[in-house]
Amino acid sequence: MKADSIVFARRIVTLGALCLCVAPALAQQTATARIVQAANTFLSSLDAKQRQHVLYAFDDGEQRARWSNLPTAFVPRGGISLKEMTPEQRSAAMALVAAALSPRGFEKVQQIMEGDEVNKLTDRGPGAGNGLPPGGGGNAPPRPNLGNPPAQSNGPMRPPMGDGPIFGKDLYYISLLGTPSTQSPWMLQFGGHHLALNITISGDRGVLTPTLTGAQPALYETKGKTVRPLGQESDKAFAFLQSLDETQRKQAILGYRLADLVLGPGQDGKTIVPEGLKGSAQTERQRALLLDLMGEWAGIIHESAAASRMIELKADLDETWFAWSGPVTVKPGSNITAYYRIQGPHVVIEYAPQTLGGDPSMHVHTMYRDPTNDYGKKLTAAE
Amino acid sequence: MNRLLTIATALLLALTAPAHAHRLDEYLQATILCIQGTHVEGFMRLVPGVAVSSIVISSIDTNGDGTLSEPEQQAYARRVLSELSLSIDGRPAALQLGSAHFPSLNEMREGMGEIRLDFTADLPRGGLNRKLVFENHHQSRISAYLVNSLVPSDKTFRITAQNRNQNRSLYQLDFAQADGGAGLPPAPHASLPRLSGFEGAFRLGARHIVEGTDHLLFLLVLLLPAPLLACGARWAQCATIRGSLLQITKIVTAFTLGHSVTLALAALGWVHMPSRPIEVLIAVSILVSALHATHPLFPGREAAIAAFFGLIHGLAFATALRDLGFDRWYGLVSILGFNLGIETMQLIVVAAILPSLLLLSRTRAYSLLRIGGALFAILASVGWIGERLLNMQNSVDSVVEIAAHHAPWIAAALFLVSVLLYWQPTRHVQWSEVTPHN
Repeated sequence: MKADSIVFARRIVTLGALCLCVAPALAQQTATARIVQAANTFLSSLDAKQRQHVLYAFDDGEQRARWSNLPTAFVPRGGISLKEMTPEQRSAAMALVAAALSPRGFEKVQQIMEGDEVNKLTDRGPGAGNGLPPGGGGNAPPRPNLGNPPAQSNGPMRPPMGDGPIFGKDLYYISLLGTPSTQSPWMLQFGGHHLALNITISGDRGVLTPTLTGAQPALYETKGKTVRPLGQESDKAFAFLQSLDETQRKQAILGYRLADLVLGPGQDGKTIVPEGLKGSAQTERQRALLLDLMGEWAGIIHESAAASRMIELKADLDETWFAWSGPVTVKPGSNITAYYRIQGPHVVIEYAPQTLGGDPSMHVHTMYRDPTNDYGKKLTAAE
Repeated sequence: MNRLLTIATALLLALTAPAHAHRLDEYLQATILCIQGTHVEGFMRLVPGVAVSSIVISSIDTNGDGTLSEPEQQAYARRVLSELSLSIDGRPAALQLGSAHFPSLNEMREGMGEIRLDFTADLPRGGLNRKLVFENHHQSRISAYLVNSLVPSDKTFRITAQNRNQNRSLYQLDFAQADGGAGLPPAPHASLPRLSGFEGAFRLGARHIVEGTDHLLFLLVLLLPAPLLACGARWAQCATIRGSLLQITKIVTAFTLGHSVTLALAALGWVHMPSRPIEVLIAVSILVSALHATHPLFPGREAAIAAFFGLIHGLAFATALRDLGFDRWYGLVSILGFNLGIETMQLIVVAAILPSLLLLSRTRAYSLLRIGGALFAILASVGWIGERLLNMQNSVDSVVEIAAHHAPWIAAALFLVSVLLYWQPTRHVQWSEVTPHN
């Protein structure tokens, strides 16, 4: 059948043409390529001196660990802050952060920064209240002595940086470890008060651990809208707790109070003994809720990295533990005041309201780790 | 109303109180214990809150000169240690101070100063039922304690239970130690087991097919016209039952061969492809096989096409395998397990759907199923292409998810319908009759 084979040949050609059209378009589309492009745009917007401040060696262990929940004046970060940038540099920096994150992740970051702006506006200046967010973060690697004399004064300490504000969305720092590349591994760090994103990129893989998010105030109003930057982390955990039956609750709720993050800043490389209710003792619906809750952290990074991370977390569900410590009720519209921890073979998530004085629902620290892959060590070890 | 009131109250609180007026009114003492070889190590973080910092500072700066001298620091560290107690299997263990690191007084006054102390104690050998009790009585009036243990990296140890009193000043750790040649009994709980290579990989492979709807959709759609013969640009009815079976076997085998090759190559690290283009190509493969189901695009060459696209699906399987945390160390065992898991699940699905396909293909209703199924697959693949190539959000995933979720019912219903239709004599077509049909 000659006609048939002509028809067939024509179709194969069409098919081939289709594939050829799609292929180059695909090459452009990988997330890593987009991030690298955004990183290069940002770097080229900087002058030589700024660039020198932003760039670190990929294996610079001290810079990797130079992050905290504390305001930047207390624990100085590496890199340069948005405050030191021109509007163009600033938007290039934020475009880079946005390229590395999912839209929802970027929104979360902006809400945390916006919350710190609220802090700045309500900060009554030197002497007001003091008592910054409680410690637990102070680990910061041996920090340079900033020249403040061993305190003689009895007055409350202002940070050594002088009289400028110590809060606000200007005071977030960006740094790059290694050279942005679509092949070899490098890192992007972005953070400040209540925020530390440590993103390792290696080929098409992306790793977000360790990352710290926090919020104070954890509920605020801006432009007529009520914002809870970490509201989902609270609501979804509470929904999960409510889905448990009596026996499960007995296992999940710890008989003692937890005052703070166990594996906060400075606690890299530690795997504590898991506690609470194991995933294998949960129903399918509960496991789905738990996975969805973990997605609040796993989904901060751009979608393709988040998708593979979710597959990993899902496969681990049997061995993933949930532990709760603190009040088992919540005021509607407000955040929980209890601590919780999710721990599996490849994940540790902690949610720690700062219960010391004040209203714990208004101040929270959270930690997201992968003890096997913090700073992407699993990816880079294979190199 | 109540809700509004709560929000309003919270806001009022937020706006009236200085944002960072939280007073750290406790002395946080967090200890992490680590059993290792012949030692227990302890890492302590001591963070005095603002309200209690003067009490703590005055107990360190004993001469009140406003500085923390080296002897004062050492003396304080020893005092802390003397107010801890550690017992192992009921016998008290002596603590030796390792390093001590103190922050500046300024930081401590601000509630940001962290004192760090390390200590060690000897750990005598023991058996399967061991008990460690750690107590902290330092500054108990103003302190909040926190104690945890690390998962021992030394595999001869296993933690079996942790208990604490309400304020965590007392912490009890039950653990087992393998003695000489005697291994540890199987873990009851509390340790972090790893997936055993083959079995874990097999389970994951099977699950990946059940949940990876795009792979299944590709295969099912490619099977849709398998019982039919192409007649020019149309599908005609119908091959012999033997021919149909042969055709289906060829397609499934070709697909399997294709993805096994690339899965092995990629998982062993010999080829490397970014995952995004692969995902798009998989959607394209569904589109192509769906178009083929409406009108024959490559009649008689289904097996070749299945093998070709199998190569692409294999790359995606490899990514999934890698994402599941299988190190190269697991190597061939896990690849084999994962692949067999995929095959098994695939065969189950094919076996479930095959009788319906064969029966229905003898009825005129088959074109409905074929065209309907193909349309569904075309819509799904176009949606996926849009999503994966252009980041266009759509609801394809959730719709397919719903369908996949009810797959057993759909398959059962399909079988029922096919049996009913097949036994209606009027609709019945001869096995080897070839008539244009579309």
